[in-house]
Amino acid sequence: MRVIGIVSRLAWRNLWRNHRRTVIMIAAVSVGIWAMMFMTALMRGMVNEMVRDSVKSLPGHVQIHHLDYRDDPNVINSIPEPSGELLDVLNSDAVVGWTSRVRVPAVVSSERESRSLTFIGVDPDSERNISFVAADIVEGRFLEDRADSGIIIGRKLADTLDTGLGKRIVIMTQDPENEIADRGFRVVGIFDSSLQSLEESFAFTGIATAQELLKIGDEVHEIAVTGTDFRKAEALYDLIAAAAGPSVSTLPWYELDSYLGTMLTVMDGFVLVWILVIFLALSFGLVNTLVMAVFERVREIGLMLALGMKPGVILGQVIAESLMLLLIGLLIGNLLAWATVEPLSGGIDVSIVAQGMEMFGASAILYPELERNDVIMANLIVIVLGVFASLSPAWRASRYQPIEAITKV
Amino acid sequence: MYRSMKLASAFRALNGLIFLLALLSVPAASAVDSGASDSGAIDPRELVKKAIDHWRGVSSTGEMTMIIHRPDWERSMSMQSWTQGSKRSLVRVTAPQKDRGNGTLMVDNSMWNYSPKVNRVIKVPSSMMGQSWMGSDFSNKDVSRSDDIVDQYTHRLLETSEMDGKQVYLIESIPLEEAAVVWGREVLRIREDLILLEQSYFDQDGELVKKLEALEIGQMGGRVIVTRQRMTKIDEPQEWTEMQVKSMNYDVAVDDNMFTLANLRNPRN
Amino acid sequence: MNIALRLAWRNLWRQPRRTWLTTGAMVFSNIILAFMVSLQFGMYDMMIDNTLAVFTSHVQIQAPGYKDEKKIRQSIPAAQSLAETVRDNLDELRVATRGIAFALASSEERSFGIQVVGIEPDHEPEVSSLPGLIKEGFYLAELESNEVIIGQVLARNLKVGLGDELTLLGSGRDGSFAAGIVTVRGIFDSGMPDIDRSYVQMPLKTFQDIFAMGDQAHEIVIRTPDLEKAADIKAKVRALLPAGSELVVYDWDELQPSLKQAIQADMASAWFMYGVLIILVAFSVLNTVLMSVLERTREFGIVMSLGLTPGRLGRLVFLETALMGALGFLIGTALGAALIVWVGENGFSYPGMDEMAERFNMPARIYPQLELMPLVLGPLIVFASTLVAALYPALRLHWLQPVQAMRAA
Repeated sequence: MRVIGIVSRLAWRNLWRNHRRTVIMIAAVSVGIWAMMFMTALMRGMVNEMVRDSVKSLPGHVQIHHLDYRDDPNVINSIPEPSGELLDVLNSDAVVGWTSRVRVPAVVSSERESRSLTFIGVDPDSERNISFVAADIVEGRFLEDRADSGIIIGRKLADTLDTGLGKRIVIMTQDPENEIADRGFRVVGIFDSSLQSLEESFAFTGIATAQELLKIGDEVHEIAVTGTDFRKAEALYDLIAAAAGPSVSTLPWYELDSYLGTMLTVMDGFVLVWILVIFLALSFGLVNTLVMAVFERVREIGLMLALGMKPGVILGQVIAESLMLLLIGLLIGNLLAWATVEPLSGGIDVSIVAQGMEMFGASAILYPELERNDVIMANLIVIVLGVFASLSPAWRASRYQPIEAITKV
Repeated sequence: MYRSMKLASAFRALNGLIFLLALLSVPAASAVDSGASDSGAIDPRELVKKAIDHWRGVSSTGEMTMIIHRPDWERSMSMQSWTQGSKRSLVRVTAPQKDRGNGTLMVDNSMWNYSPKVNRVIKVPSSMMGQSWMGSDFSNKDVSRSDDIVDQYTHRLLETSEMDGKQVYLIESIPLEEAAVVWGREVLRIREDLILLEQSYFDQDGELVKKLEALEIGQMGGRVIVTRQRMTKIDEPQEWTEMQVKSMNYDVAVDDNMFTLANLRNPRN
Repeated sequence: MNIALRLAWRNLWRQPRRTWLTTGAMVFSNIILAFMVSLQFGMYDMMIDNTLAVFTSHVQIQAPGYKDEKKIRQSIPAAQSLAETVRDNLDELRVATRGIAFALASSEERSFGIQVVGIEPDHEPEVSSLPGLIKEGFYLAELESNEVIIGQVLARNLKVGLGDELTLLGSGRDGSFAAGIVTVRGIFDSGMPDIDRSYVQMPLKTFQDIFAMGDQAHEIVIRTPDLEKAADIKAKVRALLPAGSELVVYDWDELQPSLKQAIQADMASAWFMYGVLIILVAFSVLNTVLMSVLERTREFGIVMSLGLTPGRLGRLVFLETALMGALGFLIGTALGAALIVWVGENGFSYPGMDEMAERFNMPARIYPQLELMPLVLGPLIVFASTLVAALYPALRLHWLQPVQAMRAA
């Protein structure tokens, strides 16, 4: 115990004997750590946001459709509301929320314009927890119940159609007999979304209203299910697919949007690589510093060895210096990272390249997110690999022959 | 990309004929009583209904010409028409040569189109129904849902005036809450002999968007009807579409078979 | 100068390990920078090229207003002969003419609204990658035949195959009925469901007949072998337009602004990362130079008292660093180049790249090319920053007092 105490004190004092050098090294480590974490936070934030947006707009972690629906999203490709085993699974604990929707292509018209879009009938109570709409209402209100006959449209669509809250717009689509099904709807709510395309492509009304208009009884087109975490969707998917059976198509979000699914995996790999690269760049300087520190003190080390200090302790001392240096650097770096991410958590506005971001599927505002796993990984890698890197000079220091060392010029 | 917006605007050819069919049910005058009681209390809904019934008659056959006018070009098309009741119409294009033989059949609210070039009958899907017809200023809605004006709206008499010794009624029609109608309101000027002089379409802010005006009134097939009328968009006065009635016969016997898909494809007349 | 150079060089090698470690840091970063920047530039070019290759191409001639309104009447008169003029005058370009309209496509069973594009079978394969994506049957061959190629999803939805007939109904340029019966000659799979579901190509003359276009068309599409020259080509093409013509010439940036923005966004984030690397290397260099200066304080004191001016001393130190930097630059760039060449032979890919590649129409393996600018850009900046880092210690020497220096331990 005493040895550790002495070693630590010696290591600490040695660090500060050449404070300029130590300060620079600490600064380098801090900047390195900060960069690791800041960049990672940005990237993570971006991808997480993208996935969350996708999960809210699909919506859900898992979806069920008629087998032909994805190729041909037609009104006839409908499925019955869940029942039996499927319903049991949906009501179980594995599922955080689920909702059924009617979803067909339609044309919406105002006095001056018409556009094609996807017309969706929802159950507001269950939809609220799963998709984006309820939360993104900026004017008016969300739907109140299944039979609500108001309509909710996106801000961009409202502008394009030159319509607004309280006005009537006409939805025209067809029923399973190929007959025209159309009706006027009052706009009761307008939503905003970070992805503009969502604002143009969807209109929502109560599911019962939609079913009546389309004359499909109580059939639906889409069942969306969310679990606890989008990363754990595979287990949820297995569960639901088994319960739903082969007569329908069940798919997890990362297959419904395969681009995003891979983005997530790629990002994980990318973060690791980034951390390693930074560390390597740092390590050159770190080793250099230690080598110098040892070299300067050759005579001193020789003296200590001659006086009976065990080589192992010398080794420990050098490593301790390195460790302290790293720890201080880590501390400052982590603090810096937290200090820069926190204020920016309100979002970084990159709307200059908004359209480009939409091409990636990301919104024009970046929300950095410092994830615990990433922080732990970065710190661990720096400490472990840092100590590892300092082994060589430490080892050499402990190997000095006392006589040679003392007499070194 | 191009796609989604334009799917909605693709199918104009069919809709042109639909307009025609609608026109056939737009009210025209007759010598029949306008429904006014002696004390002058008019039931506006009755009036509108009568005006529509008047023009369609129990059945009709006729010839018409449509002219589409734009700042830089003009196009005209001639067609023959048959109607029966308020729910069945058949139209065939007779000129120009390029379009000759094209036909549209409407039964209830469904519409089919036939083109001799491809020798096929196609039912028009809903995504194509919302279009302006043949590049004209008539939309499908104006055309295919002519009857809607009676049942899908509530009507109110605004004022009564006189023109050339005849009473003219100004009626405001407001769409029902759930009607598949985009307009805020429409205002119709109907003469006591059931001639629709004018139909104005207002948006939901009260702004006038387009107007159908009767330009010439004459006798056809024993009735006094509008023989020339024009639909204009208020914002673009240089763009309009005009319908001219060349001949019309009312209440003649029209065979039920006229309004079948088989006949659409293979005319027997 | 010679003496200074030799002295500087020798000074470097008095502490070989230190010099090598610092050079090592530079080499490491340079390899990374050289490789990544080259990879990036290559990828961007490919991303642009491949995305543009499907439809947009590099430059287009259109009628005014067509780009935003897409009305059939907004067409180019005598389109094919204009295209021929461009071809004759600028023969490094590939030019094709297209007519575009919207129609209803019906088979026996179903109808769908689609986009119909009239193309020139001789020229279209030169400007678009779509002809190469035919999976069944053949691409179009004659300028005037009643054949079409359709997407896989559309074929499935319409329930047609090769040789089956489709009816097309729409309205022509003059408002008349446009109708035609066509046979399916080929089925393509672009990998983009939107395209596969709603896009049909037919020969241009047939298109012009059906849609009453006369000799008019909507797009003259121009492809250049060199992406960089797009702006240049745009000017030259504009000069070839008939006098007084109202036609507009667009380059790809105006036709697809999101593409450039996506690249800008990506580039910005990449440079943030490079910046961090460069800073870390600079720290490393600063540390080293500082150390090497400080440990030679006595020596410098002696030399200065013997008559060497502080200015020249400063220059000597600076030169040392410059030499070290040059060493790092040369070795790093050479190794980086070697890496690029090696990867260029074998291809570069990482897990998950397929889906990302699909989104941007890229092949799943990338073969980076060796080009001077991207290769040396990063390393040059590193070199510059090491010089900057060297300034501080060099300047400090100005204030060195010889007597005090000699007294330093």
